Amino acid sequence: MVRWGMVIDLDKCTACQACVVACQVENNVPPADPTIDAQYRAIHWLRLLEYREGEYPHVRTRLIPRPCMHCDKPPCVKVCPVGATNIGSEGIVDQIYGRCIGCRYCTTACPYTVKYMNWYRPRWPEEMKKAFNPDVTIRPKGVVEKCTFCSHRLIKARERVRAEARELGPGDYIPACVETCPSNAMYFGDLENPNGTVFQLARSHRAFKLLEDLGTEPKVIYLSEGE
Amino acid sequence: MMGINRRDFLTALGVAGGGSALAFGPQVGLKVFQTLWGEDWVEVPTGLETRINSICQQCPGGCGITVRLVGDRAVKIDGNPFYPINRGGLCPKGQSGLQSLYDPDRIRGPLKRVGERGAGKWESISWDDAIKTVITKLQEIREKKETHTIAIMAGETRGLMQALLERFLLAFGSPNYIRVSDDLAAGPLDAFYLMQGLKEGLVYDLEQANYILSFGCDLLQSFWSPVQVLRAFGYIRRERGSRARVIQIEPRQSITATKADEWIPINPGTEGALALGIAHLMIREGLHDENFIWNNAFGFEDWIDDSRISHQGFKGLVLKEYSPGIVSSITGVPVDVIIRLAREFATTKPAVAIGLRGDVPSQMAVHALNALVGSIDSPGGVLVARDIPVPELPPIEPDEISQKGAQMPHIAQPAKEKYLLADYLPHTFLERASTGEPYKLEALFLYQTNPIFSSFNPEGVAGALDKIPFIVSFSSFMDESSQQADLILPDHTYLERWQDDPVYNLKGYPIIGLRRPVVSPLYDTRHTGDVIIQLARGLGGSLAQAFPGKDFPETLQYYFQKLFEQGRGDLVGQEFEEAWSKLLARGGWRSPSYQTAEEFWQRLQEKGGWWEPIYYYGEGERVFKTPSQRFEFYSQILKERVGVLAEERLKAIGVQVRGDKLFLPHWEAVKPPESNEEQYPFILNIYQPLVFAGLINASQPFLQGITSPAPLERWDCWIEINPELAKKLGISYGDQVWVESPRGKLSFRAKLVEGAMPEVVNIPLGVGHKALGRWAKNIGKNPLLIVEGHLEPLTGRPLINTTRVKIYRA
Repeated sequence: MVRWGMVIDLDKCTACQACVVACQVENNVPPADPTIDAQYRAIHWLRLLEYREGEYPHVRTRLIPRPCMHCDKPPCVKVCPVGATNIGSEGIVDQIYGRCIGCRYCTTACPYTVKYMNWYRPRWPEEMKKAFNPDVTIRPKGVVEKCTFCSHRLIKARERVRAEARELGPGDYIPACVETCPSNAMYFGDLENPNGTVFQLARSHRAFKLLEDLGTEPKVIYLSEGE
Repeated sequence: MMGINRRDFLTALGVAGGGSALAFGPQVGLKVFQTLWGEDWVEVPTGLETRINSICQQCPGGCGITVRLVGDRAVKIDGNPFYPINRGGLCPKGQSGLQSLYDPDRIRGPLKRVGERGAGKWESISWDDAIKTVITKLQEIREKKETHTIAIMAGETRGLMQALLERFLLAFGSPNYIRVSDDLAAGPLDAFYLMQGLKEGLVYDLEQANYILSFGCDLLQSFWSPVQVLRAFGYIRRERGSRARVIQIEPRQSITATKADEWIPINPGTEGALALGIAHLMIREGLHDENFIWNNAFGFEDWIDDSRISHQGFKGLVLKEYSPGIVSSITGVPVDVIIRLAREFATTKPAVAIGLRGDVPSQMAVHALNALVGSIDSPGGVLVARDIPVPELPPIEPDEISQKGAQMPHIAQPAKEKYLLADYLPHTFLERASTGEPYKLEALFLYQTNPIFSSFNPEGVAGALDKIPFIVSFSSFMDESSQQADLILPDHTYLERWQDDPVYNLKGYPIIGLRRPVVSPLYDTRHTGDVIIQLARGLGGSLAQAFPGKDFPETLQYYFQKLFEQGRGDLVGQEFEEAWSKLLARGGWRSPSYQTAEEFWQRLQEKGGWWEPIYYYGEGERVFKTPSQRFEFYSQILKERVGVLAEERLKAIGVQVRGDKLFLPHWEAVKPPESNEEQYPFILNIYQPLVFAGLINASQPFLQGITSPAPLERWDCWIEINPELAKKLGISYGDQVWVESPRGKLSFRAKLVEGAMPEVVNIPLGVGHKALGRWAKNIGKNPLLIVEGHLEPLTGRPLINTTRVKIYRA
C-alpha cells in the first residue's frame, strides 16, 4: 500500500516561502488582510515557523516550513464528532467540508496547529476569482480547512496514468509546494517504496519529526541543518 | 446555472475520495457552481487545460515560467523545468504573479489628468486621443528645436524594449535614456570595473564554490536573480559530493546569515576593513595564490613606473596598515575569528568573496580577496559572463534637428570633476534638472519605474516632477509617480505581452528568454513598444523609418530572425544537452535543434528561450580589460580618472586618502560630516526582504501576507532591536517606537530580535506606499524617508546605511 509522505531538508531550505504562496494559489486560500491577520485568523495551510535560540552574538535561528504532518495517528480525526476529518487508506488526512460543523475540536486537538477555521466568508475581489483553481472547492464560512497534500492532484494523476495505461510512478503526483521549491529542499513520494528518494531520506541520520514524542507519527520528516 | 443540494455535494465528495478535491472541470458540464451555502458564486472556467511557457517579470531575475490555463484563464504559475535560470523552481514572487494580472486596482485604459497634479482626478480617453496628445506635445518641442529636453526613465528593462526606447530618443533627438535599477545587490560592480575593466557581467560561480564568504550580500533574499542563488544553495549543500561552507558577515542576522554555517556580526560599514585584515593574514602566512598573482595581477608588489617613480603595491599597504589587531578594533570581529576566516578562506578552494555595491574602496577590498585566492575566471570563483548576442536593428538616419539634440550632454551626467566614476546619476538627476542644471526637462516618460517611492528624497523628486510640464507614465498600476503624471498610457502586465529577456546565469552563459502573452489583455491597455512605434509613425520623417516593424511583435520576430542569422547557441535544454553542446563546441561544432528560422521561432515559443551554454576559461583579453590587461590591485583606471586633480578638489568630493593608497583597496570610515554620535547613537540598517526586493510587488496580498512569520508583524513595517537594548530603553515587543534621524522621524512597531547588534537598528524596505492599490496604500512605512542619503564620493550613488538615528517610545 502506498503511504504518501514528505521530506523537508532544512539544510537546503532557504526560507524563501515560495511553498507558502504556491499552496495558497493552488488551493484557493484567500489572502488575509491586516484585521484578520492581527486576530490570528489568517489561513496558511503551509507556513514558516521561526525559532530563535541563544543570546547575541551566539544566536541560532531556525526557520521551518510547516505543512500538515498527515499523522498516521492524527489527533484531529479522533476528536471529530461528525467524521469530517478522516485519514485515507494511503495516509492522507483530509477534511470533508460538507460534514464539518465548525466545532473546532480538531483545531484544538492538533498539536501542530495546522487546522484553520474559516471565521469569515472568504473575500475575493471579483477580478481575482478568475485565478481560482477549478480543481479545488472554495470553502464557506464556518468550516475547518487544512493541507491536503494537494490530493486533487493525486486524483488527476490517477486519471492520467489510467489513460496512459501505466502505473503511478514517481513524479506523477507532487504537491504544489514541492513542485515550486527553488532550492529543491522538499521531496514527496511513497514512504513504503524502498527504492524511492523519500524512503531513503526518511532514514537519514539527520531525520527528525516535529513533536515526535506525542506519538502522532507524522509523515512529514525533516532533515536537520549542518554537516 | 444549477443549484446543488447537500446530498449531491456529498456524493461528489465521495467520488472525489480525498474530500476537499472536488473535480468540477468542464467535463462535469456545469456552467456555474454555487457553493453549498449560497454565499459565493463562482463561475467555472470552461475550455481545455493548456500550458504556456513564458518569462517571469516579478523581478529582474528572468526565470522561465509555465502558466497553467483553463480555457482563457490563467490559474497557476510554475517554473519552466527546461529553463536554465530556474530549472522548474520559482520564488514566492513568481508564484503570486497572477495577483498582478488580476489586480483589481489596475489601470484599465488611458487616463488624462483633469484636476490638480496629484489630486487623483482622471478622465478616461481613447488611445487615439492619448497618442495624439503626446504627438502634439512632441511636435511642439521639436518645432522649438529643443528635442533634448525629453527624457525616458526606465526601470529594470533590457533587450529589445530598451533598444527601442533608446532608438526613439535618438531618432527624436535626445540623449536622455535613464536606466534606474536597484543595483544594491548587484555585487561590487564598481570594483569589477576598476580592477577588471568591465562594467557588467560579474557572476559568481556558486555551484562549484566550496567556500562562500559573503560581506553583507543578502544572497538568499535580495540578490538580483533570487531563484538562481536559491537553487545553487540547495545544490552546494546536499546535491553534489562535498558540502560548501557559507559564511555571512553583516550587522544583522538576515535569512542568509541564519542559513549560513556561521554569522559574523560586524560594525556597519566596516566590511572592507575585515576583507583587508583577511588579506593581511593570507599574505603574511603565504596563503595567497602566488601563481595567479604572478601571471595575472598588477600592483601586488611595489613597482616602478615608466617615469621611474616608485609606487606602493597592495602587499605593502596591507601588511603595513591592516594587522588583525587594528582590523579587530575597527570591525568588532575578534582577532581569532579573523585568523580562522583567513585560513579557511585561503585553504578551502575554490573560495569566493562576495560584496555589496557600497563605498568603492570597500568594494575593491572584497574583490581583491578573489584575486588573492586565485578565484578570478576559474571554476567556483568570479566569472565574467559571455556576451549576450545583440541582434542588429537597421541604422537610423536622424535629421539635423535630431542630430543636434542627441549631441547635447546627457541630463543625468554629472559635472566631470564632481563624481569621478559616474557616467550618469540616475538617482539624483531629477532634482538637479529642476534647477536647470544642465537644462530643464520639457517632457518625461516613466517606464517601469517609480522614482518617488524608490528615491531617498521623495519630496525632492515629487517637487522636481512638479516642475516638468509634461509627464507620461506607462505604468499598469497607479503608483506614486504615475499619480503626478499628466497622461497614463497603461502597459500590459508581463503575462499579457511579447518581450525578449536577455540575461546571463551564474555559469556565465548568455540566455535570451521569450516572454509571450499567456492571456489576451484583460483591459484596454497597450504594449509600450507598440505605443512607441505608433508615436514614431505619427511624428513621421526619420523617426518613422527608425522602426523596422509595424508593431512590437513584428519587431520582435525580426529581432529573433537576426539572432537566428548569427548562428550561435541553441534552444534552452536540460543539463545533458548543456554538456552535449559543450562537447560539440570544443570540437568546433554546433548542432542546433532547428534548421530554419520558422522552426526556430516556433520551437522558441514552446521551449521558452535560447542559450549558448559555453564558457571558456583563460580568455585573458575578455576577462581583464584594464590598461595592464591583468587584474589590477592598483587601479590604473581610477588613477587616470583622478588624473591631476588638485588637492582642494579631492577634499571637495570628500576623499581623505592621498597618494597610491587612493588607487589600492583600502578602508576609510564613511562618516558623514554632520553625524553626531552622542545625539544619534544608533546606526540605521535598511535591508530588503525577498518579497519586496525590487520595490514593485507590494500590491500583491499573498506577498504582504508572508513578510514575517509572526502575524502581528505582517501588513506593517517594524524595527528590529536587540532585546538588551530594548530593556535599557524601556521598549517591549509591539510598542510603537520613534526612529529619529537628523532628517526626520517615523514610528515603527518594535520587534525584539537576538540577531540584532546592540548598536544597530534594522528596518525592512518595501512597504509604506502612498498609492499602488488597496493592498499597498498606507500599509507600513518607508524608511527611506528618514535616510540621509549620503552619496558615495566617487560614484555619486546613494549610500543606504550611513544614517545615524535615535529611538524612543512613542
